[in-house]
Formats: sequence, structure tokens, C-alpha cells
Amino acid sequence: MNTTSIYTTLNGESFALSDLESDERQLISDLIIRQRAASSWSAFANDYMRQLGEFYKSRGISRKSIIELPLWKIASDLKSRMMVRAGDALPPDYRDSLGTIIRSDYPTQKAFCDATGLTEDLVSHVLARRKHLAIDTLSEALRRIGYRLAIVPIEKV
Amino acid sequence: MPNDVIVECSFLIPMTRDALLSDGQPHSSKEWEKLDDTLFAKFLGGTSAPGLYSGFYADPHTGQRVSDQSKKFIVAVPRFQLDELRQLLIEACDWFCQKCIYLSIAGNVEFIQKP
Repeated sequence: MNTTSIYTTLNGESFALSDLESDERQLISDLIIRQRAASSWSAFANDYMRQLGEFYKSRGISRKSIIELPLWKIASDLKSRMMVRAGDALPPDYRDSLGTIIRSDYPTQKAFCDATGLTEDLVSHVLARRKHLAIDTLSEALRRIGYRLAIVPIEKV
Repeated sequence: MPNDVIVECSFLIPMTRDALLSDGQPHSSKEWEKLDDTLFAKFLGGTSAPGLYSGFYADPHTGQRVSDQSKKFIVAVPRFQLDELRQLLIEACDWFCQKCIYLSIAGNVEFIQKP
């Protein structure tokens, strides 16, 4: 988590803090202080949802839109880091990324399977964490849909 | 009862994936984020109860007693949105690799599972 200019989430999403308005940057600083002081991740979750809800409500932004904003994603990530540190959650892995691609790029899991050449049975097992994909199988499936594997540093929690 | 009456609903999400459906490991943080996003976007009020709830149930497939620890969420839901909450929990069965999810609607218990 580099908060000086770029904030990178456990999911690998990056946000340039300079793109945010000054009061949004101030709110992030406040949230980081509150996260450090929070007694538990659920207490922090209740806190940031209330804070961001009030902050953006005053700007007339709907709740559906708020969850797409960088500030919300950063706050969610701060909570996720607490959960991972506590051993209550695992950091996301390639199976989460596959799930995201399926939901965002394909109408159905079957459409994803047709495009990648993977069988529906195998994809179901992988998404349910019962099986892993071999690297060459994963690489070839991703290549077919315009993605590739990358080796990136692990985000510190 | 009018449809706009708000009822208190609570549900339990076990802290680990089902050991038979999946691997019995803690969930990915991404799944919890998805739940938070959906609750916040769809329902006006909600809270995550402090601590964990220990419990047990008979596995519907094996009949064996399973003990688990769960996180409790409390949501204020207008009656007309109750089916939306049920639908969300059907999806959550997939996200969290659960056979069913315990839901209490104003004290009446339902076990939500995929149709």
C-alpha cells in the first residue's frame, strides 16, 4: 500500500491520489488513521460505510455509484487488509481474477468457457477452489481471450 | 402489512468455505468486498455485528454435525425488498461456497439455498 501518490489494492487495482479532490484525499487520511485505531475489521467496515455514505450523499451521489468510486475501493481494501492480517480472509488470487473477468466480459460462464476452450466442469471446480489450473492451460486459455499471466510483487498487508 | 414497513433481517456467513463443496479455507477478501458492496448499494441500513457466532448444523448431504463460526449481518429491509435480500443470499451461497445461508426475517428463520 503506497499512499504517497498511488494506492494499490490487494486486487492489484491502482489509484492515483492526485486525481482525487483535496477533501477526498483528506478523507482517505482520516480513514487510514481510523483503520489503525479500529478494534476490529467489522467495526471499521461499519465506520467507513457510514462515513462515505454521508460524504457522498451531500454531493447527491447514489449508493450504486459510490461503490464504483476510488475512495470506496480504497476503504474496502483497508478493511480487507485487516481481515487478511487477522487470518479471517485470504488475499485474492488468480481465481478471483478469473471470476471478475467472467462477470465483466461474458454473459455466462459457458460463454467464457467457449471463448477460452476450458470445460465448464473444470472452470466450476477452479472457481469453487476444488482444483487449480496448470500454468500452461491457464496461459493458453488467457491468450485466447486477450489476457496474459504476469508476475507481480505481493502487496504487503 | 404494508409493503413499505421495514423489517429487521439478519443472516450468518460462515468464516470458511464449505469443506465438501470447496476446500474449507477462509474466503478471499474479494468475496467479502462483494457482499459489502451489494449490501451498501441495495439496502439503506445495515451493520456487521461485532465478533463471531459459533454454531452447528446437520450437513444436508452427509447428515453429520458440522461446527462453524460465522459473521452476523443485520440489515433493515422494506418488505418489498425481502425477495432482493433472498436473491442476494442465493448468490452469496456461490460466492462463499455454502450449501445454504441462515436468514432470520423478524425472527422467522429461513435457510436460503440455490434452487
